[in-house]
Amino acid sequence: MSDNSGLTLFLDGEEVGFTRGESIFQVSERHQKDIPTLCYDERLEAFGACRLCIVELEGARYPVASCTTKAEPGMRVTSKSGRLEMHRRVLLEMVVSENREVDVNELAGYASQEMTTLVDRYDARTGRFAGGKSGTSRADDPNPFILRDYEQCISCYRCVRVCAEQEGDYAISVMNRGFDTQITTEFGGLLVDSACTFCGQCIQTCPTGALADIKALRAKDVEEPVEKTRSICPYCGVGCAVDIMTKGDRIVGIQPAMDGPANEGALCVKGQFAFDFVHHPDRLKTPFVRNDHGQLVPASWDEALDKAAAGLLAAVNEHGRHSLYAVASGRAPNEAGFLMQKLVRAGLGTSYIDNCSRA
Amino acid sequence: MAQTNQQLIAEYASQEAPLLPLLHAFHERDGYLSEEALRATSDGLKIPIAELFGTVTFYHHFAREPGGHLAPRVCTGFICRMNGAEELLESLDGATGMPCSGRCDEPIPVLRGKQTLVGTSADALEPRDTPVPPPSADGVEECVFAHIRDPARKTLEGYRATGGYVALERAVRAMTPEELISVIDDSGLAGRGGAGFPTGRKLRAVLDAEGGPKTVVCNADEGEPGCFKDRALMDHDPHALLEGMALACVATGAERAFIYLRYEYPETDAGLAVAIAETEAAGILGDDAFGSGRRIKIYLRRGAGAYICGEETSLLNSLEGAHPFPRNRPPYPVTHGYEGTPTAVNNVETLSSLPPIVANGAEWYRDLGMGEHAGTKVISLSGDVNRPGNYEVPLGLPLSELIEQWAGGIRNGYAIQAVTMAGLSGGFLAGDDLDVTLDEASIRSKGSFLGAGGIMVFDETRHMIEVAHSAMEFFAEESCGKCFPCRIGTQRLTERLAGDAGPADFTMWLDEVADLNLTMKETSACGLGQAAPLITESLVRYFPEVVRAHVAGRLDDE
Amino acid sequence: MSNPLKDMEKPDVIFCIGTNMTECHPVAATRLKKAIANGAKMIVADPREIGLTKLADINLQLRVGSDSALLLGMAHVIHREGLVDEGFMLDRTTEAEAFLKHIEEFTPEWASEVTGIAPELIEEAALLYGRAERGAIYYTLGITEHICGVDNVQGLCNLALMTGNIGREGTGINPMRGQNNIQGAGDVGAIPNNYPGFQAVTDPANQAKFSKAWGREIDHENGITKVRALEQAGEQIRAMFIDGENTVVTDPDREHCERALESLDFLVVCDLFMTETAEFADVVFPATGFGETDGTQTNTERRVQRLRKAVPPPGEAKPDWWIISRLAQRMNFKGFEYSGADEVFNELCSLSGTYAGLNWDRVEFGEYQWPVPEEGHPGTPRLHEDRFINGRGIFKLIRYRDPAETIDDDYPVWLTTGRRLAHYHSRTQTGRSEGLDYLRPHETLEVHPDDVAAWGASDGGWVNMSSRRGSVRIRIESTTRSPRGTVFSSFSFNDVPVNVLTGSGYDPVTDTAELKVCPVRIEPAIEPTGD
Repeated sequence: MSDNSGLTLFLDGEEVGFTRGESIFQVSERHQKDIPTLCYDERLEAFGACRLCIVELEGARYPVASCTTKAEPGMRVTSKSGRLEMHRRVLLEMVVSENREVDVNELAGYASQEMTTLVDRYDARTGRFAGGKSGTSRADDPNPFILRDYEQCISCYRCVRVCAEQEGDYAISVMNRGFDTQITTEFGGLLVDSACTFCGQCIQTCPTGALADIKALRAKDVEEPVEKTRSICPYCGVGCAVDIMTKGDRIVGIQPAMDGPANEGALCVKGQFAFDFVHHPDRLKTPFVRNDHGQLVPASWDEALDKAAAGLLAAVNEHGRHSLYAVASGRAPNEAGFLMQKLVRAGLGTSYIDNCSRA
Repeated sequence: MAQTNQQLIAEYASQEAPLLPLLHAFHERDGYLSEEALRATSDGLKIPIAELFGTVTFYHHFAREPGGHLAPRVCTGFICRMNGAEELLESLDGATGMPCSGRCDEPIPVLRGKQTLVGTSADALEPRDTPVPPPSADGVEECVFAHIRDPARKTLEGYRATGGYVALERAVRAMTPEELISVIDDSGLAGRGGAGFPTGRKLRAVLDAEGGPKTVVCNADEGEPGCFKDRALMDHDPHALLEGMALACVATGAERAFIYLRYEYPETDAGLAVAIAETEAAGILGDDAFGSGRRIKIYLRRGAGAYICGEETSLLNSLEGAHPFPRNRPPYPVTHGYEGTPTAVNNVETLSSLPPIVANGAEWYRDLGMGEHAGTKVISLSGDVNRPGNYEVPLGLPLSELIEQWAGGIRNGYAIQAVTMAGLSGGFLAGDDLDVTLDEASIRSKGSFLGAGGIMVFDETRHMIEVAHSAMEFFAEESCGKCFPCRIGTQRLTERLAGDAGPADFTMWLDEVADLNLTMKETSACGLGQAAPLITESLVRYFPEVVRAHVAGRLDDE
Repeated sequence: MSNPLKDMEKPDVIFCIGTNMTECHPVAATRLKKAIANGAKMIVADPREIGLTKLADINLQLRVGSDSALLLGMAHVIHREGLVDEGFMLDRTTEAEAFLKHIEEFTPEWASEVTGIAPELIEEAALLYGRAERGAIYYTLGITEHICGVDNVQGLCNLALMTGNIGREGTGINPMRGQNNIQGAGDVGAIPNNYPGFQAVTDPANQAKFSKAWGREIDHENGITKVRALEQAGEQIRAMFIDGENTVVTDPDREHCERALESLDFLVVCDLFMTETAEFADVVFPATGFGETDGTQTNTERRVQRLRKAVPPPGEAKPDWWIISRLAQRMNFKGFEYSGADEVFNELCSLSGTYAGLNWDRVEFGEYQWPVPEEGHPGTPRLHEDRFINGRGIFKLIRYRDPAETIDDDYPVWLTTGRRLAHYHSRTQTGRSEGLDYLRPHETLEVHPDDVAAWGASDGGWVNMSSRRGSVRIRIESTTRSPRGTVFSSFSFNDVPVNVLTGSGYDPVTDTAELKVCPVRIEPAIEPTGD
């Protein structure tokens, strides 16, 4: 759009360009200002709850929340000052004072370290503003996926907003008000009785681990460090990008890739939670061949490959090359399908190949 | 026979702003909001059930247990506490407290369903009409109160007999919006609900805003403790408000207007409904105002008990059926208000001022004020004065003159200790700072503000920590919970004023409270969190020794 | 999909037919929900009351298998009301005149008779889609798993072509592919009629190209489909190599399928688990699974993405590419000397027009959607923008046909099958992942409460459900999600092998099984004992 050209404001004294509609926070992010926030998730409408992202605006009496304030031409913005840092520290001390603890296991969720990190950065674990704690944990919810430890909740409503704005499920909401605010489902019930689809989005956006990945936390006592490997979900055809969390040789959890082109941070219950099959004891660990008694028994690769090659070739030799049929998988990688069809085409000169798309 | 769920939903679903009236209908039919009713509402109005449930819990008065609708609610605002509200609450079966319910010039109000009773003991509760404002001192000329003491003024006939609807008819027939707005501009009228934004400018912004339909909203959610002026205006001069709203419609080009009335005024609700019906029947309002072809439709909507809904963007969310958190601004309601349409939100007093201003001219109104101050302001004066009540004062009147001469001075011959300003939102004034005149400039110079004009007076016998605690407890209970500084800060200050928590060391105590005050004031998202710390700030400023004793007492307790 | 997933947030009118998207493609459905939140209107056509139904503006609850009649009726109304995009039809399509004449007979009243939908609703839906600025069609197996699957798809194409709702943002004809790499399986040529990149087997030029690449003559004729191959098992087909498919459970007519596998001389299966299908094999190879292998896969919007290895596989399990290539080597086939998945993928790209501009390194971040005809090409998020691949969009003069079997006195109830949110296919994976059974511990048959009562059954009680092919015992779930006379179950639970019932017929063009329609008889039964 032509009316975007030449729009500038002054950010900490430097003239910087912006696009109409951008918030001061977004402009500042582009310029690595590292403004603190707890209620911001770039996928959601800016909400303005935590007030940590305040900046000073020339001409404004009080600081403004940069996430909810649109950039305007000529604005003079200060992203960091003694006054702002004082407010930010006090706000963090206040938030620390309402919760049970601050340190959160990184397996809890994608954003789970945000609060801990900020509290450390501002040295806000001072014990000031002591008083009543907020939130009531729902230990009575037996669901195996989503921990609902609201004693850790800071009422940023990212979970409520992600459920509504990203998922469109509207399963959770805010009940009561003020310090008695509580994240709830309809009539305060269990998640399974609500509109929740257990997609895990609330877990991944929670900045405190109040909502946490129960399955991933099973591995919290495993000593090894968490590593993440980008891959694609093995279920439906949408092709959601995931980060596979591993400790050593074990997959301990899944996190959605926020920059996944197909899913942009979203997952469903299967992609998020249905990964245990990978390490299930039922997994085949060796080839099997049918023995003379008609039983499938473990075998070496050499034995199995030889037997398979011989068995398939025997049919071809006896009944012709059109007697062998190959079925490729709609679940295996492209390389598998490519080689299956190459096997019959390059090997036998037939197109006796199909995949499971017809049923 | 009671209407079925489906009948009620069918009745309301096609209306403007249907959620609150539908919930009230269920509330009254069943005596509470049952799960079944809420599920039916969710389906009928297509509001997700979790969201609807959460929103219902936000309001003070929606009962979720059978019989809850009629259970008595006793006002436990501080003025009523001074009159024995806590004892009354104890003595009434099944009663619960409610925050200041806007009757500080009367005995303690008790709300039962759609009826308000007043009295100071359980066996002497009676319905009583809203007190008529005391006569003005020395015959000072008034604007909104000029005819309010005329008992006939409530009726359409009486209102018209005293010049009512003349201004509207002229505006509808012969004035352009621009002409109308320039009269309002010239009068110097500014918002009388507290924010003090120039009314003409607001109306012009809506008129000029792109998009539509335009909407006018009357903020009649008079929730500020110590404020009861709008109730008097609406009960005794309802047509003035309707005419004022209609004028705002003409000025902005709006065809629809809403009155958002606080839950605690059921009699006012009934009275306004009659007044609206009368004017529509007379062809003054409705689809064809004065036969001009112009549509001016006023809808009356009753809140459900939430102070924050007096904040205009919360009010709009509430009206729309959304969770009543305040919205982020900008954009402002004048461009993105009710359902995203350009909306003028004005207070009852502001709107009620429009008919006399349009009838008598801008200059007339300006000249009602003292010195350079334009016009008048209604002050709700309560507490330890001999004649509590609503006074329409010329702006610029010295506070001492109002208290001493107009209201007969402090009760029992005691000395004045402190007053609150802007209800509770302006904090305290005390000592030499009581020497102010009633206008924003003077009061703001003392770090407070006039706001909606509620002034509570405390004599020298009152315990200021108790007063401050009660005030902060109110803010904590009414904090919406959206922004951190207010949600946590009001709680922490309340605990410190209660003596429940906080450092035992006075310096550290002061340090914590000062940090809370400053961060709340400078970073809260709306007026509630910005104003609440004025209580503690002014308490510490005026009464440091009282505070020191309070903190020391906490040490003694340990 | 003709259009990218991102486009699902852009239509002003959404037409979902035969897709239970909130359960089967939940993440894609979130995008539709956003479009709706932004004001889009949605038409949902489905025999059942599904998750999308609640979000829809117009619900068309049609009798199972009557989709093509609905589409003809809608086309009729769009034409009658003058809502056709004449410019688009003129510039981009052929057979338009014949088509418009053809649909004159298919009035909404006629369509109503077939589908059971009120004619006014059909009109309303047609008007909404016909007037759309950006109308988008989404469908899944509810459209294709019928004997008239091809007709159904062509019926949808006709609607898009007559209204010009193709080739632009927020429009298109968008099949939601059900398996993570079912798109890729077709792309890479694992189909009897195409070489990689949809190069027809019957085109001599292609035959020459691949014969040269692989150093041997290849048939000019198409191969046969899996359905035919199973039919001919023990006759023409004597050996099979099945990779990663639990044919016995997921294919229709389980008994027929088991007989087919038993009658083979030799069966090789490659899988993660000893599946019901693997039990029939002579040799079973242990394959790597999710998180254990490097590779690529292609999603429903034609996006080619990298899979990465995060953990070692169990025991001696190996990647599919390794297994297949080593087997080929032992069969003395040439050209299978690969040392990694990257080499296989790069060979694929070199032979496929649609992947020609890709290679292993270029798919690192998954930003390409095919076709990517040459290096430097940005990919093609949206198909058919300026022209159709084959020149012009062709209107097809389809007609309604009854399902292979229709209800009668013996089998008076329609059974339709599908998936559920918490489980996937035969539960080899979801059934082995902790917690999923919390959401759905066992299978149920969804029956309308009035039918439950009418059949003397009870909610939670057991029934025998029989078709012409077999019988299963299943628990009743009384729910208005099913209309009267139609029942639903998934095929995920092995203890309720619903596919012993299905398999009444196949689409004559694609051999796709009619899994969505199966007349059954339902009788109260006693609860099974034992485990």
